[in-house]
Amino acid sequence: MELSSFVQNLMNGLAIGSVYAIFALGYTLVFSILGIINFAHGAVFTLGAYFTYTLVVGQFENNGLLKGINLFPDGSPFSGSAVMFGLATILGACAAGAVAVLIERLAFRPMRSRGADPLLALVSSLGVALVIVNLIQLLVGAEIYNFPSDAYGEVRPALSFKIGEKIVIIRTVQLIIFAVSLVMLAVLGYVIGRTKVGKALRAVAESPSTASLLGISVDRFILITFFLSGFLGGLAGTLVGTAFGVAGPYFGVVYGLKGLAVIVLGGLGSIPGAVAGGLVIGLAEAFVPAEYSAYKDAVAFALLFVILLVRPQGLLGRNLIQKV
Amino acid sequence: MSDFLQSYGFLIVTLIQAGLLGLSLYFPLMAGQLSLASPGFYALGGYVAAIMLTNPAFAGLRDTLGNGIFPLTWLAAGLLCALAGVIVGVPALRLRGIYLALATIAFVEILRVVSLNLSITGGAIGIFGIPQAFGFQDRWQYLLIFGPLLALVLAFTYMLQKSRVGRAFRAIREDELAADAMGVPPTQYKVLAFVIGAVIAGIVGSMSAPFLNTWNAKQGTFDASIAILAFVLIGGSRSMWGPVVGGALLTAVPELLRFLQDWRLVINGLVLVIASLYLPQGIVGALAKLRKSPPPARPPIAPAPDAKGGTL
Repeated sequence: MELSSFVQNLMNGLAIGSVYAIFALGYTLVFSILGIINFAHGAVFTLGAYFTYTLVVGQFENNGLLKGINLFPDGSPFSGSAVMFGLATILGACAAGAVAVLIERLAFRPMRSRGADPLLALVSSLGVALVIVNLIQLLVGAEIYNFPSDAYGEVRPALSFKIGEKIVIIRTVQLIIFAVSLVMLAVLGYVIGRTKVGKALRAVAESPSTASLLGISVDRFILITFFLSGFLGGLAGTLVGTAFGVAGPYFGVVYGLKGLAVIVLGGLGSIPGAVAGGLVIGLAEAFVPAEYSAYKDAVAFALLFVILLVRPQGLLGRNLIQKV
Repeated sequence: MSDFLQSYGFLIVTLIQAGLLGLSLYFPLMAGQLSLASPGFYALGGYVAAIMLTNPAFAGLRDTLGNGIFPLTWLAAGLLCALAGVIVGVPALRLRGIYLALATIAFVEILRVVSLNLSITGGAIGIFGIPQAFGFQDRWQYLLIFGPLLALVLAFTYMLQKSRVGRAFRAIREDELAADAMGVPPTQYKVLAFVIGAVIAGIVGSMSAPFLNTWNAKQGTFDASIAILAFVLIGGSRSMWGPVVGGALLTAVPELLRFLQDWRLVINGLVLVIASLYLPQGIVGALAKLRKSPPPARPPIAPAPDAKGGTL
């Protein structure tokens, strides 16, 4: 492989891999606290992108019940400048986080308090995902919505540089995705590793009953976890939506599935694992040769299958101990 | 009567199909293994039948056998799925709980992507113009093959539960280590349960391909995996009637909700949430509870189970 195409693939892989990582962190946070997989996470990802789009554009002109309603008749205040676009992204992610909190209150908590089979959480969270996805379809239709190219003001669409004779092009969006993901990972690492909230979260993850004996309000920290999870999911949704368009109510489904592969690859419930898993899968996909690109979507699952057989606890997971 | 079959025959066949797929997932669950592989084997079985019924390579076989080709497709699908079940099952069943579930999701997804890209499976378009089984004129006539299959599988399940094998499955479900210590080899029985489920799903697929007339990669998806899991859990995972009742009901609900038009799928999702909240033992479990006197109240279970993998 030539150096230029190597660098190109590397950049593509890092950008998409870092999105996988922050998306999968949302799964992992909930799993580490509750031991369940929240299948609605893919739908929250989709919602994040739609929330941000709502703020930036203000209307969905193609289809659905909301057709013809314009939130900002005089032009959206969030459009046209990079700072305001960033603000819209954060607000969209917060709204997604709020939805995740709602999901926990309405679908997960009642089930825990009844002592239901944890497997049922899979079904109930899938039910929530169905509700969200079909509501989106009902409200704004199944069309693809692209962010207008002037939405983030005067930003160059791509950077290009030469390696030898070949030109390597890196889209600005990719650089932003990568940078935002790094910042998010650093912030999350700081919050969980160094702050009091993080300490409490780790305590709840280790043992909810002990944590509650020590005066930690377990339910409150579960809510915080869901908010963080939804925030990360919604942020990832906006980032992907900015790069490739908000591709209909189902566009989170693929990420929802790949996110599963990411967390298992890295080790269920492990934060560094989710990051490593995301980057490994992003890079592996980017380096699939062009003639096999149709099989790209199978790469993540092939890796998942192999890692489960070779090292079930994942790359960075804790050893699984079989208790009697 | 024939009017009734004309209008509802298709729906009834779909309900039976759902019940059978629910049962195919019930077998691994009987041995305590959460496998979501059924849609994969269902798709595989369907492809086997579709290829045998349309591919020019099998033209000679079709001409010689006439209608005999249809039972042969069931047999071929069953055998191939048994083989695939062993190949996937032996390594995957070293895993437990959510890990096994995820490994089987991976299997379904890999199969889907591969079938999207092979020419023998018709790529993204799939396989078209699959001839109707036994020259059936009407869809309701498929009751004549799906009905007996359901009866057969139920009878088989009933007998299996009473047998040594069924007791071994239950022992493994309750406590794998204890079962092993008592001389019940868990791996063999787990693979056996997995393979039985695979064979049932494969045969259902091979009967469904002529029924649906066309077969493509949409037949085996992640959504289908969870839908089938919902059949079993909402129907009741501790009785063989649970998957059948759950499959039939959850397949009927979207049809019954047709009057809601665009809101139908939203409400369908809500039904799943509410059923998981209010029927934690499943419908059959709840009915069984009604008949018996209620057991003494158990203290609520702590918010999170111990068996989880993570540290932050």
